[in-house]
Amino acid sequence: MTKNPTNPENEKMLNEDYLWDASGTPDLEIQRLESLLSEFRQTDRALVLPAELPAAPRKFHALLIPMLTLPHLAAAAVILLAAGLTLFFFTRPKPAPETGPAWDVANLQGAPQIGTKAIAANQTAAKFRVGQTLVTNNDSRASLSEADLGEIRIDPNSRVRLVQTDANRKRIQLDVGTIHAAIWAPPGTFVVDTPSAVAIDLGCSYTLHVAPDGSGELHTTYGWVGFHLLGRDSFIPAGAMCSTRPEQGPGIPYFEDATPAFREAIVQFDSSVENSTDRSAAIAKMLSEARAHDALSLWHLLFRVNAAERSQVYARFAVLVPPPQGVTRPGILNLDQSMLDLWWNSLGLGEISQWRFWQQSAYPQPPPNTQPLLQEK
Amino acid sequence: MAALSELRSPRPGPPAVNGVQETGGPDDALVRAAQHGDRAAFGLLYARYSRMVHGILLARVPFSEVDDLVQDVFLQALPRLNTLREISRFPGWLASIARNRAIDFHRRTKPTDEFDEESDSAQSGTHAPFANHSSHSSAEAHAILQAIRSLPDAYREPLILRLVEGMTGPEIAARTGLTHGSVRVTLHRGMQQLREILGRKASPPTGGVL
Repeated sequence: MTKNPTNPENEKMLNEDYLWDASGTPDLEIQRLESLLSEFRQTDRALVLPAELPAAPRKFHALLIPMLTLPHLAAAAVILLAAGLTLFFFTRPKPAPETGPAWDVANLQGAPQIGTKAIAANQTAAKFRVGQTLVTNNDSRASLSEADLGEIRIDPNSRVRLVQTDANRKRIQLDVGTIHAAIWAPPGTFVVDTPSAVAIDLGCSYTLHVAPDGSGELHTTYGWVGFHLLGRDSFIPAGAMCSTRPEQGPGIPYFEDATPAFREAIVQFDSSVENSTDRSAAIAKMLSEARAHDALSLWHLLFRVNAAERSQVYARFAVLVPPPQGVTRPGILNLDQSMLDLWWNSLGLGEISQWRFWQQSAYPQPPPNTQPLLQEK
Repeated sequence: MAALSELRSPRPGPPAVNGVQETGGPDDALVRAAQHGDRAAFGLLYARYSRMVHGILLARVPFSEVDDLVQDVFLQALPRLNTLREISRFPGWLASIARNRAIDFHRRTKPTDEFDEESDSAQSGTHAPFANHSSHSSAEAHAILQAIRSLPDAYREPLILRLVEGMTGPEIAARTGLTHGSVRVTLHRGMQQLREILGRKASPPTGGVL
């Protein structure tokens, strides 16, 4: 985490060594809490395991080791050749509709369907393949999992399509409904397309809901998530949420513990039109209600206001979180990306280079000397 | 019925406060060995990660259910270990299983079964640890636990790992796969909100919360 030494709260944090690692001067209040809460601490209970642990499948060469004599090898070669030829002739003409990479899918409740096929409650080997659609009704739930990705739980009344799954990108489309994603893939790998924004996992778990009208809401539990549509980006760290609307994209994210007035002002801002009185009132309310914690929202607001309003936002933001070294007022008012990135990193909510890396991989820029395909005449 | 065997934590006494590793080598080697059916390796992983799993569950489910659910989480993880290709992601993977197990618990619990720690402990009388405390301190402990549980998801888990399970910030980061910065910020903010809830805010605001 980048810390701004001029921020008095960060100085306080540096002094809170006891909370961090139990070093430094003991904090009597925390010690008392530790003592009281120790009754809930884990006891030294043993883990009870079944007698047989599932072993990893034996490698093919390990199975061959006991057979390593010439006659056995020759016999094995003949059998393999015959089996190979048989497989080739019998399988060559047949189409293979259910091939390619797939995710595991499990029935958690009711009768979720892939296409027209219901997933049985005890079905252990069900697969979800690229191009297929998983649908849950009002009484069914399902889970999707992939070893290198994580687990996605699908709530009732949802429709999800698997768009892509390869080493670098796992992508689903959530048309409607709710998913709970717990992701351990590298940041930027898991992407969810919704009718009004694209959600990019940046190392986290989160809940994403899409309403029948295409609007959406994202709540982050751990890590952070990027919400993106047509050049409009919102970052949603743990404890925050963000709404999105068709054709408008993601709104201003905010911490869910913000004051009701601050939250109402954000909703009003997101639904107002540019240069309207509603919008001006919403900005004024946000600035007056913002706590330092709400710098998350003010940082996003900088991008979505006109020059005069940006100056007001800057003034309030700088009071709540002093700009770190290298960040200047003129730079921020001109939306200098490197300065905005520096200021974001000083908030300690996530390293923005992860997002820039995703942007670069998703929307690569042409090399500087490349000629455009279409020349203006 | 399959024979059962016990794997007891090799960690004697109270949990370490400053040490991140209790015993043995790096976790990657343990995960790899457990993937190949090594019971001792799985036992060591249990010793190293059971406190984290306990804390994650305690943040979400009644105390009386936590010990059984910790067992469930490890028994769910065991047969799925072979699906974990990138073993360095074991901490985050295990934490996700624990969080999902807590979600499952609430989905399967009838609304009337929803927990109230105070009445739960009073009625069941199953909480042996309470016997060592006065009723006053136990009631206060339950009130504090409820206050922590009322915090946003992102704050209650690190706070419980720190204040209940006795893990340090670096240890929480290592065990959950989160960054030091993220854990430090959530501990700080969570503690601040807890102080506000408990009405014992130690110091007046100094202009910044971040």
